Order: sequence, then C-alpha cells, then structure tokens
Amino acid sequence: MFSRYGTLKNAMCGLGLVALLLLPFIIPTFWLRIFTGVSLWVGLALSWNMIGGYMGYISFGHGAFFGVGAYATALVMAHTPIPFGIAILISGTLTYLFARMVGYLTFRLNGTYFAIGTWAFAEMMRQVVLLLPFTGGSYGMRLPPVVNEGFFYYVMLALAVAVLIFSYFIFEKSSFGLKVKSVREEETAAQTLGIDVEKVKNQVFALSGLFPGVIGGAYAYWITYIHPDSVLGPLIADQMVVMVLLGGIGTVFGPVIGASLMYIGNRIIWVTWGDSSSYLVILGLAICFIIRFLPEGLIKLPIRESLRRIGVGARQAIPNEEVR
Amino acid sequence: MELIIQTLVNGLLIGGIFIMIAVGFTLAFGVMDIIDFAVGEWVMLGAFAAYWLQTLVHVDPLLFFPVIMLTFGAAAYVFQPVLQSVINIKHRSAALMALAFTFGLSTFFRGAALTLWGFNNRNIVTFLSDQSINILGITLPALRVAATVFAVIITIGFMVFLNKTKTGVAIRAAAENKTIAGLMGIDGQKVARTVYAIYAALTSLAGVFIGSIFSVNPDMGLRYTAFAFFVVVAGGMGSFAGAIAAAILLGLIASFVSVYVGGAYIFLILFLFLYFVLLFFSKGILGKGL
Repeated sequence: MFSRYGTLKNAMCGLGLVALLLLPFIIPTFWLRIFTGVSLWVGLALSWNMIGGYMGYISFGHGAFFGVGAYATALVMAHTPIPFGIAILISGTLTYLFARMVGYLTFRLNGTYFAIGTWAFAEMMRQVVLLLPFTGGSYGMRLPPVVNEGFFYYVMLALAVAVLIFSYFIFEKSSFGLKVKSVREEETAAQTLGIDVEKVKNQVFALSGLFPGVIGGAYAYWITYIHPDSVLGPLIADQMVVMVLLGGIGTVFGPVIGASLMYIGNRIIWVTWGDSSSYLVILGLAICFIIRFLPEGLIKLPIRESLRRIGVGARQAIPNEEVR
Repeated sequence: MELIIQTLVNGLLIGGIFIMIAVGFTLAFGVMDIIDFAVGEWVMLGAFAAYWLQTLVHVDPLLFFPVIMLTFGAAAYVFQPVLQSVINIKHRSAALMALAFTFGLSTFFRGAALTLWGFNNRNIVTFLSDQSINILGITLPALRVAATVFAVIITIGFMVFLNKTKTGVAIRAAAENKTIAGLMGIDGQKVARTVYAIYAALTSLAGVFIGSIFSVNPDMGLRYTAFAFFVVVAGGMGSFAGAIAAAILLGLIASFVSVYVGGAYIFLILFLFLYFVLLFFSKGILGKGL
C-alpha cells in the first residue's frame, strides 16, 4: 500500500477521478453521452462479476434485473409524482427482493443447469413484460424527457463508482469476500468450515441483481423510451458476460477495463458504419478470440511486469503479496 | 373435435422436426460435455444453404439435402478441434468458457448473416410445397409429413448406427465415460469430431425442412436455440429417449398453445415450463438424464 507502486496507483486513481468529474465541462455532449454509457456498462459488468467472478455461478439472466429496474422506475414515474431519486431507490429495492426470490429458486441448480435456468428465467421475464397490460407490450413505455446530459453523466458515474467501491471493499477486503471465494473454490469444504453456503450464494446473487436494477432505472430516465427488446433483450446479459471475460473475470478492475473498451469499440463501429449487425460480427469474433487465447482477460496481460522493467514501481516480488 | 385432432397432428408433425435437432444436440452434449448456444444458427445456416442452392443453382434443395448435410458435416469436422481446444482450456470455470465460446460463435453467425443477407424473410419452394394430404377432414401438409418421416428414418438409422456399428459403440462408450473409453483404446478426439460432424449435419437438415415449411431469415436462430435447450433440458441432459419425448411434447405444447391460448403466449409458457422442469425435475420428464 505504501510502496512506490501503491502511491503511484493511488495518485493516478485520484487524478482519474478528478478528470472524470470535470469531463462535462471539457468535452462535447456527443462524447459525454458515450462516457455516460461507459459508466453504465462498467456498473453492469461489475455487478455481473459479483456472481460470475467471485461466486463462480454463471448467470445469463442478469439482463432481467436491468429490465425490471428500468420498468419499475418507468411505472413509478408514470403513475405517481415520485421524483427520480426516490423512484430508482424503490426500483432498486424491488429488484433486490426480486433477485432474492429468483436466487432462492434457481440455486437449486448448479453449473450449466444454473446458467440455463437463469437464461430461461430472463426470457420468461421478457415474455411477461410483452404480455402484461400495463407495460405497453412491444411498444414499450415513455418517460418525461429531461435534457440534461451532465446530470445523467454524474448519476451513472456515481453508480459505477459506488459499485466499484462496493465490489472492492465487500469482495476483496472483507471476510464476507473470503467466504464467497471459498464457496467458489469448493462448496463442500466451505460448508465443513461452517459457512452457510446457501445464504452466501443468495446474498451475492441478490446484491448482483440490486445494482443492475438501480442502473436500469437510471437508464430508463436517461433514454426516456424503453421497450422489452432494449432493456430485457438477451444482448444486455450477454454483453455483461463478455465485458467481464474480456477484462478479467473475478477481479475488480478487469470488468472496468472490459466494459470501457467494449462500449467505446461498439460506439466507434456505430459511428463508422452506423449499422448494428456488423457489431455482432466483431462482438462474436472478439468473444471467441478472448476465450481461446486470453481466458484470464486483458488484466492478466503482463503489463505490470513491463512497467517494473522500465522502473515504474520497481520492487521485488514478495511471496503471497498478491492474493489472487 | 376435428380441431383438437388437427392441432394434435400439427403438434406431432412439428415435434418430428425437433427430433432431428434433439438427437444430434443430445449426442454432442453427451460426448463433448458442451451445450452449444449456436445450435439455432446451424439451423439458420442450413436453411440459408437450401435457399442459396435454390436461388443460385436452381435445384430443389429438398432433393439435394445430402449435399447440404455433407458440407455441414465436413465443416464441423474441420472446425471441431478449435472447439475442443477451448473445452480443454485449463481454467477455473472451463465449462463457462466453452459455453461462452459457443455463444460467441452464435453471435458471429447471426451478425454475419444479418450483415450479408439483411433482415428480409425469404421463402424456399420445394416440390412438396403447397401439397397436402387429406384424411378424414384432417389436413396433413406434405412437407411436414416428409420432415417427420425423415426424422423417424434418421432416428432409427442413427439408433442402428449407435448400437450395431463399431464407431457407434465407441461413441456410446465415450459418452458414458471418456476416461475408461480411452483406456479401452477409443480415440476420444476422433469420436468427438465424428459426433460434432453428425450433429451439424442433422441440424442443418432440420434447417432445410424448417426453412421450407416456414421461411428463412438471419434472426430465426434464437428461436431454435430456445427449442433445442428446451428439448435437452426437458428430456434430461444426455438422454435420447427423453429428448425424443421432449421434442414431441414441445411440438404439442407449441401447437395447442397457439390454437387455444394465442401465439403470443408460446414462449412464455415454454420458458415457464423449462424453468420449472429444471428446478424440480432436473433429470428430465422421463427421469433418465444425467
């Protein structure tokens, strides 16, 4: 922590945060929207990483929590005079309870069965929203438009930073994080050590559903128009998974890197070709290549060693210093 | 009464097509331990192969199905080692890696098809299109009957192959226990390649039929991925008899729901059913799965 490397890292984090806070005054609205999107996806990727990375349970259904949050916020704001700030808290609470229930049911399964179960559940939610009388079916819902890009940028940034800090302290620095990791490594062994495995699994699942719910609510208010394919489509959950894999699964900063690169890449393709299907080609190829050649993600590229070699944070490796 | 029988027959005939997908998919799962997210895209590519065969070469795709099957089988045989290398990756969550890899493949195929061929629906006309058989007031579309007959023949042929030939026995042994099969001198790698090739060939054939019966478009894959998952999960993973039963059940559910409840509810009911079968009968409806 107090080594040269650590100090450098802290200083860079501080500088980065200041730069991010000043961003709305520097860059044009177009780019600000892209950075809002980056924050959104960083938050989502980090949320998925809680269950997929730290817990080791693959969920293909996390898009459902994003969508439920978005619809809950839209419904609350359409039918009541409740302001946005409280509406996303309500939708966050609802999503948390909802995730609690889904987790309770789905944790009867494990491995591939769990992945398929969450996927089936998410698809079910999309069908439910398509058919419910008050969600507008496939036409979706509109919210009162608010044109204030700076506001949404700060909201998304705050959410992303909140998830980041939460991930870091809960999963990397607390005894709860150790419990979660021990369950991931070997459930039976964790159980014999007196860890309530079921409880831990349910808590992590609900937490990893809570944040997408809140972020979904903010998304709905930002975009002002949601429909089942945009907030409950399979692409939401899929991108969360891919972003985490790209950056590095089960790490704090991997999902941040993965989400930022993928979202910016997506926007560059969108600006260049303006056509969404070529994005799918590149996304698909990227997934295959990452998994085949870089299964640990970009964060495990030997950048740190290269930095040490040129003298930044030069330090002898101390055994057990880095807890992986 | 007539409506019920017609619905029942329609369901059985659609179920027949799903059997074709189910058989290969289950076998691939048994031998390679992989749930292929791209299964629907093989169906889509099979349908497109038929469409281009018709449009560019001006032949009836239904008569030239062996060409399509051989092409897909060969492509899969060549490609399988790549997939295998992903399955063998030493990683904490290796199963996830393979699942995500096939998911990447499916995204790639869908994106490529959308980019190349656009969102339009296309139709395949075969010598059986618009033909139908009437028995006692029940209409049997010739194409669907042909598909079901094909599916039954292929399934029986497949069973004979699995039970009577040396390769077939090797496949079954590898599906049961790879390590011991390896000790008996079975080349697991070769078996996996063969199985993947068979699976791709069968799925593309299902695609030819599905494309001729309904229509062809690059977005059709997701639907059949959902169906294939339904069949494998509801049937109990790795169980043949279960998969066939689930394929027929799927056809019946789809047919009855669309007639008596409404087409919009098909997927809701299917996913609801899938989810609860998973939760409470994870060995499948016949209780024979892994």
